[in-house]
Amino acid sequence: MKLGVFYSELRGNHDVLFRLKAEKLGIFLVSNGIYHAIIKEKGEPSPVLQKQGADYYVLSEDLQTRGFSTDEVDSNVKVVTYSDIADHIMNDYDKLAWL
Amino acid sequence: MGTLTIGVFSSLIGSMNLDFAVKLSEAAADKGHNVNLWLSGNATILAQKGQKEFLDYSYLIEKIKSLQEKGVQVGACEACSEGRGIHAGDVIEDITFIGMDWYVAKAAKSDRVLHIGVE
Repeated sequence: MKLGVFYSELRGNHDVLFRLKAEKLGIFLVSNGIYHAIIKEKGEPSPVLQKQGADYYVLSEDLQTRGFSTDEVDSNVKVVTYSDIADHIMNDYDKLAWL
Repeated sequence: MGTLTIGVFSSLIGSMNLDFAVKLSEAAADKGHNVNLWLSGNATILAQKGQKEFLDYSYLIEKIKSLQEKGVQVGACEACSEGRGIHAGDVIEDITFIGMDWYVAKAAKSDRVLHIGVE
């Protein structure tokens, strides 16, 4: 299964994320989920970014709405637009989930 | 091109999920995909006519009309609406006011389904 997961909260349930298994996993950080692409806790990236083998994306519009620029984003996270997300979900991931 | 069905249950005010669902619907429609948008729970408030625009509130009525012009099919849950005092006559033109079977049928025939629950 190729699973695209939308992660939309800062204080969400990481546990669910780490239990997910998929042949291909894409994690889209949107709404308040974008903070995980930016914040450091004790100098370390957010635990959300530590899911082995996942591709990470962050929505540029939600970054800008919250006053962040793309060069503040963790290097493992790709900055995308709504248009890019439409392409990814229609081409790369056949199942979608919202956390 | 494919078909994307999005179901959203979050509220219009106090949540960003409905804004996200509407903008993703537009992006997918602009790419030539068929898009179905299902409004349920507090999201049915978006289907109500006569909303007023305020500075720091989500105001999506115009966006919904432009989505419809792009061929996006919008459905609103009749039970959830009536439960919130929104009746058939209160609903924006061309929004299908119907039971959840509309959403299930659309989802069953879609290439992709994204279900956005309540916060």
